[in-house]
Amino acid sequence: MSDGKPVILPADENSFRLEAYLSRGGYEAARKTLLEKKPQEVMDEVKKANLRGRGGAGLPAGSKWAFVPQTGDQPKYLCVNADEGEPGTFKDRAIMTRDPHLLLEGIILASYAVGIHTAFIYIRGEYEAIARRLEDAIGEAREKGFFGRNIFGSGFDLDVLVHRGAGSYICGEETALLESLEGRRGWPRLRPPFPASVGLFRAPTVINNVETIANVPLIFRFGAAAFVAAGLPRDGGTRLFGVSGAVRRPGVYELPVGTPLRKIIEDWAGGPAEGQAIKAVVPGGLSAPFLRPEELDVPMDYESLARAKSMLGSAGIIVIGDRTPMSEVLKIVARFYAHESCGQCTPCRIGTTWIRKIAERIGAGEGAPGDLDLIRHLAEGMKGKTLCPMGDAAAFPVLSIVDKFGKELRETISR
Amino acid sequence: MVNIQIDGRPLQVPPGSTVLKAAEQTGIVIPRFCYHPAFEPEGSCRMCLVEIEGLPKLDLACSTVVREGMKVWTSTPKVLEARKNVLEFFLADHPLDCPICDKAGECFLQIYYDQHGRYASRFLEAKEKKKKKIPIGKKLLLDRERCVLCTRCVRFLRRVTGTGELGVFERAVKAEIGIDEGTEIGNNYSGNLVDICPVGAITDGDFRFKSRAWFLEKGRTVCPRCSRGCNIVIQSVCGFPLPGSQRKIYRIVPAENQEVNGYWICDFGRYGYQDIEENRGKAIAVNKGGLPEGKTANWDNVLRELAAEIKAMSEAGRARRIGVVLTSLLTNEELGICRQLFVNVLGVGEVFFADPKPGESDSYLLTADRAPNARGAAALGFTPKLPDLERLPGSLDLLLVFGPHLLDHFPAADLATAFQEISRTYLLAAHRSALDSLAGTVLPTAVPAEKRGSFTNVGGIVQSFERAVRAPKGCRPEGEILTSLASELGVELG
Amino acid sequence: MSFSLSAAAMKRVEELVRRYPKKEAALLPILHVVQREKGFIPREAEDWAAATLGIPPILVREVLSFYSLLRRAPAGKYFIQVCRNISCFLAGSEDIVKHLEARLGIRAGETTPDGKFTLATVECLGNCDHSPCLMINDDDYGPVTRDMIDGVLKGLA
Repeated sequence: MSDGKPVILPADENSFRLEAYLSRGGYEAARKTLLEKKPQEVMDEVKKANLRGRGGAGLPAGSKWAFVPQTGDQPKYLCVNADEGEPGTFKDRAIMTRDPHLLLEGIILASYAVGIHTAFIYIRGEYEAIARRLEDAIGEAREKGFFGRNIFGSGFDLDVLVHRGAGSYICGEETALLESLEGRRGWPRLRPPFPASVGLFRAPTVINNVETIANVPLIFRFGAAAFVAAGLPRDGGTRLFGVSGAVRRPGVYELPVGTPLRKIIEDWAGGPAEGQAIKAVVPGGLSAPFLRPEELDVPMDYESLARAKSMLGSAGIIVIGDRTPMSEVLKIVARFYAHESCGQCTPCRIGTTWIRKIAERIGAGEGAPGDLDLIRHLAEGMKGKTLCPMGDAAAFPVLSIVDKFGKELRETISR
Repeated sequence: MVNIQIDGRPLQVPPGSTVLKAAEQTGIVIPRFCYHPAFEPEGSCRMCLVEIEGLPKLDLACSTVVREGMKVWTSTPKVLEARKNVLEFFLADHPLDCPICDKAGECFLQIYYDQHGRYASRFLEAKEKKKKKIPIGKKLLLDRERCVLCTRCVRFLRRVTGTGELGVFERAVKAEIGIDEGTEIGNNYSGNLVDICPVGAITDGDFRFKSRAWFLEKGRTVCPRCSRGCNIVIQSVCGFPLPGSQRKIYRIVPAENQEVNGYWICDFGRYGYQDIEENRGKAIAVNKGGLPEGKTANWDNVLRELAAEIKAMSEAGRARRIGVVLTSLLTNEELGICRQLFVNVLGVGEVFFADPKPGESDSYLLTADRAPNARGAAALGFTPKLPDLERLPGSLDLLLVFGPHLLDHFPAADLATAFQEISRTYLLAAHRSALDSLAGTVLPTAVPAEKRGSFTNVGGIVQSFERAVRAPKGCRPEGEILTSLASELGVELG
Repeated sequence: MSFSLSAAAMKRVEELVRRYPKKEAALLPILHVVQREKGFIPREAEDWAAATLGIPPILVREVLSFYSLLRRAPAGKYFIQVCRNISCFLAGSEDIVKHLEARLGIRAGETTPDGKFTLATVECLGNCDHSPCLMINDDDYGPVTRDMIDGVLKGLA
């Protein structure tokens, strides 16, 4: 925003307070929009901006909102997904820590577009300090009349509540989030019906990632065209790429959608850590298939990564150096999904632990010749057959490790 | 109606049907663990995945609703592979308890492995160890290693009985069914949990280790322990463990009847098979009179003697001094014979009814009325009334009593006094009781499970049933006895 | 068997219960209030939460057993969670865990006999650009080194 381009993260890390946000032009877009535009116009503008979801699935936000039925007078809800459990992902932490009011302004606009009067921010339990910062920001905003009744004198009422999770990765999955918010175990729901028609408390509900919502004020501050121009035609805006692992400068880098992966790692994150070469890269959070060093020229947008048989997901880039045995990586990946499986459906409940046990055996030097084929067989057995996407999330990285790094793993086994 | 195709065959199904229900119409049973027709689809076992043309992923048959033109394939290589995959996950962590598990022979895992599995296990790891033999109430035992987390038990207790004693605890592979601390399942429908558990995770201590499922012979009938008339299947074995061994009943399970009992029966009925087995009268007993000295009683001579007594009284114009105590445990057919013979033809003096004492009804299936056919009796024109023991002796010379239930209403001593004054008393009962020594002649009868006939339940529904188990040698259904008696008397029953 | 909270906590509970269209949704929030005050969720609190929200106690127990941040047994005054996921592993989290185990004299999953520290190894804390990272109660630390941890531990009363 300092140089007139739609950018989420403010340059100054300590500018999270309301006065600072207002001095950056904060809440102006929301005020003007609520006073001058109709909800349908807001939805159309967001559709034009080609804002795609930034939680992992990449659904266009405008289309998602449009699925909510506008007839009837039942309440509708917005749930902002701040569960951020995908390993390698820490961008929402950055947004909520450095620019909470941007998120809040986005909530106002999104709620106005869909006709929602109560919004929840479901934030993972470990983010306690961030939850408090959000609550402080909400308090500041409410005092100024940006939340509550008749916001900006527009006649629109909206309240926003922070709801803490309690340690469960699966609660970042949309319907598990709803279950958790309603006070139950985080067991995902059978679909159809989808949350847009039957969601929170069985009412129509929009669930969007923090970064998705945080982009909405930028669309109205700069216009849809400028937003698209900041990214790609079908995938507008910037992305917050989190880079971590064996790199010199881990951190959040806000760059246009479509920036090549290699450029992000080498130019922005300083390249691989001292004395190491890149062996493998996770491009979109741990649930995305791993990439080999020769595959790193891929542009970081949904279509390009899909063509490369991986995914943009949460844009969490993890760089693995050649000092790390892939058998260790496999162990950690398998352990993570086995620990976080909710246990509801058979393939994931059993498959994730089975794979973990095999990976641990391999890591302990007791691998058997058929192990890699077995892991592949089990991961394929989970793929596409589970109640929620976590089955695929558990299968993809494991399959990619076994397929792309099989030679190294076989050497580990035969040792 | 909606037009679809299943495995290439065109089919018309009611709108709103699921693919699974539609397939059942054509006789295709899609494998499943968590789906049960009594509940909304759950979708967690993943066993019912089928291929729907035009969709990239397999879909659940249990929850996918049919659409016009839908083409479903239930046995493509993709579907068969998926079933194998899912089964492999189920079995990976399942204990090899078959040799000691009661569910063997009716276990979904066994059945589906036989139909859809048949692969060699590739599981080399240590299986998860969990608690087995956990008492959860009444005689039920929970085995967490066998449990496949279909959650049918949890859902049954939440949605049918509303008692919610079971829940799902922990997460991932540690997820387990458990009973709420300090509680136990005590409701009157607990036995249904054993039926709906697709594997041997919930077993019944009442049945545990007693018989293998494949030895059991099945007979369908109507439960006689209250007036609901739940449809049941009695499972018994004859000639086990040795040929010639007595029939032994091992358990009763529900038979589905959406008009009467849905999918369930209550525990009072379920565990009432003791009634069929225990304390049965097996031999004719003659205590006083009824036969000339020295003659051994058998059905023929006893009935002939009774017929002679009745004929004598009838011809002497003293039929009014014959009394009959009936019971609502008799079938409609038997009661019909009674009406024709005793009321219409003979014109006996009094027709009384002695039924089991009423009990507590629960608010679901079990009625307070503990006899199965009160409505049937009423429909035949009988008004149930108990005898007045003071007047009884003075007014009767011959009394026929069906069933021992006078004891439910009068002390044995009072009945003894009353019976003493009546010259001829006959007791026709299936069970031994204190009345045996009070009646002149005792004839052992069959219980409803051993008869064919019909009952009219509390809602007025007439239910016919066939004989479900053989009567013990020497016992006869009342209908047979009455028919023989009528024949001896030369009475047309019509 | 009665359960009580401080006046301030009770006030917070009442606010929380009021703000949801359905009372049951306040379960996690009020359990957090309880754990913040008592350090864990006592057995009486489970029944109290059930009564407060009008739900069967078994549902509270199901929830407690599902979420890894909720504790049914007291933890140390300082609850240390060390991340062991990929980025932290690559940055040396295993060494940090070993160091803490040695320093505190306990294995991961245990509490020091004086009740001061509980050590837990956890999955991704969402702080990957500060690997290896850990949390002590609500505070984030990272990138941590052995020396840095020693310094922090010394400063904890």
